[in-house]
Amino acid sequence: MSDNQSAIRISQSAIEASAIERLAVEIAGIKLKNPVMGASGTFGYGLEFAGLIDLNRLGGFSTKGLSARPLPGNIPTRIVETHGGMLNAIGLQNVGARAFVEEKLPLLRKYDTQVIANVFGYSDEDYLEAIQILNDGEGIAAYELNISCPNVKEGGIVIGSSPLAAAKLTEKARRAAQRPLIVKLSPNVTDIKELARAIVDAGADALSLINTLVGMAIDIHSRKPHLNFGTGGLSGPAIKPIAVRMVYEVASTVSVPLIGIGGIASAADALEFIIAGATAVQIGTANYYDPSVTMKTIDELADYCNQHSTTMQSLIGSVNRN
Amino acid sequence: MIDTIATVESNLELTPGYKLLTLNFKEAIAAKAGQFAMLKAHDTFEPLLRRALAIYRIENSNQLSFLYQVLGRGTQMLSHLDSGGKVDILLPLGNCWLDEPLQKTGLGSKALVVAGGIGSASVYLLCQELQRRQIETQIFFGAANRKVATGCGLDDFKKLALPITLTTDDGSLGERGFVTAPLEKFLREGKGENATIYTCGPWVMMKRVAEIAEGFAIKCLASLEAPMGCGFGVCVGCVVAIKDADAKSYQAYQRVCTDGSIFPAEIIRWEVTAMAH
Ligand SMILES: Cc1cc2nc3c(=O)[nH]c(=O)nc-3n(C[C@H](O)[C@H](O)[C@H](O)COP(=O)(O)OP(=O)(O)OC[C@H]3O[C@@H](n4cnc5c(N)ncnc54)[C@H](O)[C@@H]3O)c2cc1C
Ligand SMILES: Cc1cc2nc3c(=O)[nH]c(=O)nc-3n(C[C@H](O)[C@H](O)[C@H](O)COP(=O)(O)O)c2cc1C
Ligand code: FES
Repeated sequence: MSDNQSAIRISQSAIEASAIERLAVEIAGIKLKNPVMGASGTFGYGLEFAGLIDLNRLGGFSTKGLSARPLPGNIPTRIVETHGGMLNAIGLQNVGARAFVEEKLPLLRKYDTQVIANVFGYSDEDYLEAIQILNDGEGIAAYELNISCPNVKEGGIVIGSSPLAAAKLTEKARRAAQRPLIVKLSPNVTDIKELARAIVDAGADALSLINTLVGMAIDIHSRKPHLNFGTGGLSGPAIKPIAVRMVYEVASTVSVPLIGIGGIASAADALEFIIAGATAVQIGTANYYDPSVTMKTIDELADYCNQHSTTMQSLIGSVNRN
Repeated sequence: MIDTIATVESNLELTPGYKLLTLNFKEAIAAKAGQFAMLKAHDTFEPLLRRALAIYRIENSNQLSFLYQVLGRGTQMLSHLDSGGKVDILLPLGNCWLDEPLQKTGLGSKALVVAGGIGSASVYLLCQELQRRQIETQIFFGAANRKVATGCGLDDFKKLALPITLTTDDGSLGERGFVTAPLEKFLREGKGENATIYTCGPWVMMKRVAEIAEGFAIKCLASLEAPMGCGFGVCVGCVVAIKDADAKSYQAYQRVCTDGSIFPAEIIRWEVTAMAH
């Protein structure tokens, strides 16, 4: 190899190294190669995307909500599209924590990405049982407590909308969890700051926000709700401004890292959340109509950092207040 | 499974409200009878989600056609595309009519294809394949009226030169009434021995076909429809309720997109999913 060639090679690897550094972030001790993750319930068990994207390039993803036992979910119809988004009432159909540990995790360990186990239960005991099972799972980076699913008749929503109940569960989960604990906030509350403060005081290592907003759509011909469950969770671009506002409010209230979620479909969307105070983001509904949206977002974020000679780390919470 | 951008070759109106979309692909597409695609106009974000359409015809390895009914926002948006327009498309999706494990017990010596309305789109390739395999095939083709029958590809089906029984709800073509009537008559005459029924159409029609099949103890496969979020198994939005599964287990529901869209009719709890269509 000529000196010239080796010089080119060195400078290329220097560029690559700096690109990697530019995108890297950290949440509760978990190192993410970039801030882009798949959101719970929209990314399955990750493996569904294996033929469509390079999972090794992904910062990480949050699994479909796992419960102590497998759950069948709600009676269909479960989804309906609305303007700029969709309503869902899946009802947390999932294989259960045990099957996740035994059947999915071994396959996931082949990929170099951070796997966050999203946990759900109908009572505090259910949550703790699911966490105990998942503690056995090798290759889980953190837990994400879903205290905010609007699509189950009992559980989630009650815990998620009461700061006291949420704090109590967080405290118990923090003790049971052998890994960092992220708590996912419900937007279906009067004051997100109060909820966030209570959960952080109770020991949460990080917060993710937001889950879906309770909504409804009615078929004007049958005069019945489109969803069999009646109401559903609204997601997609329609909810993004609400989510950005909530991340901004929570960022000025607590000091743990935040993961921004809600209607993200591009790097521009992700950057809004990061500038508002999120350390990382999760992309949800956009994966359905554009399965490679996470890859495109990573590339665009890298371009942004290069163009602005900046890093993700320095963008976090960098919003200019007039 | 390929996620790509295809180019519109043509988007012809067969009859008002029914169109035939032909797409050109950069890459060769290996699709089989019964599979479907998720598609929407490229870079259109209203509506957001892609729509499921059956792969109607394979023109060649780089060109496929889709037959569709213009219903709501999604199909309207598709209907506005002209030659040269771009489509975001994920395909091929779902299982196939003639593949294992659906054909576990082997193909019946006779095939009865029951198509209702735009459900025809899912069975045209099947009919072609049955003919290629020289399996005795009888088509039952039902539509609301003569115009809709044309929109649902009747001319293509006729060109196959397979026996075809036509019904229309208003009697403007073929027998008046539902397509299930001649099917039942055919079976009552004892002509269904060792047959398999393949059906796609409105939910109520398929439910009735399933009942008839059960009554005559004939194997029946049905291609189901459900509103789809993703088409590749992640959203769990498209499920149907399954018989004999523990109601509390994960197996109580299966995904139309990845566990189907074709299911043995006898495992479906038809009464649970009250699809409007
Ligand atoms: C596997 C499969 C194959 C299909 N093949 C064809 C085909 O070849 N030709 C054809 O004309 N139609 C087909 N359909 C139905 C087609 O997907 C719907 O007509 C279309 O999604 C309606 O969308 P829209 O925006 O026009 O209507 P809207 O009413 O605006 O749709 C709103 C939502 O409901 C869903 N939806 C509405 N109607 C249906 C329906 N009948 N089935 C499933 N989802 C529905 C849509 O996906 C969308 O998310 C198929 C459906 C499935 C599941
Ligand atoms: C179909 C569907 C299922 C979901 N399931 C879960 C879940 O199991 N656990 C959870 O914490 N969030 C779940 N969510 C919420 C998403 O993770 C995310 O918070 C929300 O959709 C907002 O992001 P988006 O607008 O990018 O989709 C689900 C969302 C959708 C659309
Ligand atoms: S459409 Fe998403 S799982 Fe079937």
